[in-house]
Amino acid sequence: MGIEKVESSDAELVRRVRAGDIGAYGVLVSRYRDRLGRYAIHMIGDREDAEEALQDSFVRAYRSLARCDDPARFGAWLYGILVNRCRTTGARAARRRRMFVRDPDALHGAAHADQSERLEWTDAVDRALARLAPQHREAFLLKHVEDLEYEEIAELTGAGVSALKMRVKRAREQLQRYLREAEHV
Amino acid sequence: MFEQEDDIVERMIQQLRRPVAVDPALDARVLQAITAPRPSQRSVWPWLAAAALLGALTIWRPWSRGSAADRPDTLQFVLVAPQANSVSLVGDFNDWDPKRSPMRTANGIWAAVVQLAPGRYRYAFLVNGVEWRADPGAPAARDDEFGTPSSVVTVGGKGS
Repeated sequence: MGIEKVESSDAELVRRVRAGDIGAYGVLVSRYRDRLGRYAIHMIGDREDAEEALQDSFVRAYRSLARCDDPARFGAWLYGILVNRCRTTGARAARRRRMFVRDPDALHGAAHADQSERLEWTDAVDRALARLAPQHREAFLLKHVEDLEYEEIAELTGAGVSALKMRVKRAREQLQRYLREAEHV
Repeated sequence: MFEQEDDIVERMIQQLRRPVAVDPALDARVLQAITAPRPSQRSVWPWLAAAALLGALTIWRPWSRGSAADRPDTLQFVLVAPQANSVSLVGDFNDWDPKRSPMRTANGIWAAVVQLAPGRYRYAFLVNGVEWRADPGAPAARDDEFGTPSSVVTVGGKGS
């Protein structure tokens, strides 16, 4: 019943794409879309810019697929492309001074107190994340949200492991302070 | 009363780990972008450039580059239809027979490869054996006498 589910490995799909099967690339896109999208949205802070960065990363990856040395690690390779793309977008967005602005009507119009509280918490999380320096936000998200090992993050970002540990530590300290401040507003 | 040190950050991490749903149409946009002809190819296949702008899902195979205008071309037709149980490619080139060009799926992206001699062809997708769909990005066939949606593909320089 239903659609035949294809559970091919990344390596097999990359091999098929290299042989000219564009549909196989569609499978890879759909496999990584939401997970990488989560990183891009949290890193950039604007959904539209994040989706643009994500789409661009998939297209760049396709066009550079010959340079993916280890097809079994296609996901990690793709992450690297997205991390770089987010840096460019992040810098551009900072120049435009884009900030998280949640619709104030949504907060005031919340039907229940707990719904309003949830929205305020979500808002506080977004704002706290946006206040971090991009390098700190990047390291924090990759370590704690995307659950990567420091060695993997080092490979993706080009930073050393000890520098990354320091960035994550600083990010946690700052986030704790920002969230506490938000609780007392 | 403050939460334990770092508990508030852990709560934040849990919030950020929640799955995020990206617009599924992104898949089609990516496929569209990677199959759009590069500038140097546009003079050869102008209809493909126009189709890409309109959201065409018909894909020109990389190996067909450089083929002479009078030789057959290999084309891959793609339809994004995640809910479909079966899709067939039907058209002037296969006598509109659904059995001759069944499409294969991977995660809702249906594809079929056919070789076409130069010329102009009307075609459509038959979804679940009953629903006719035109290619969302290719030019619509305005001269189709059967009353169901269909599209037009022109191969080589001898169409229209």
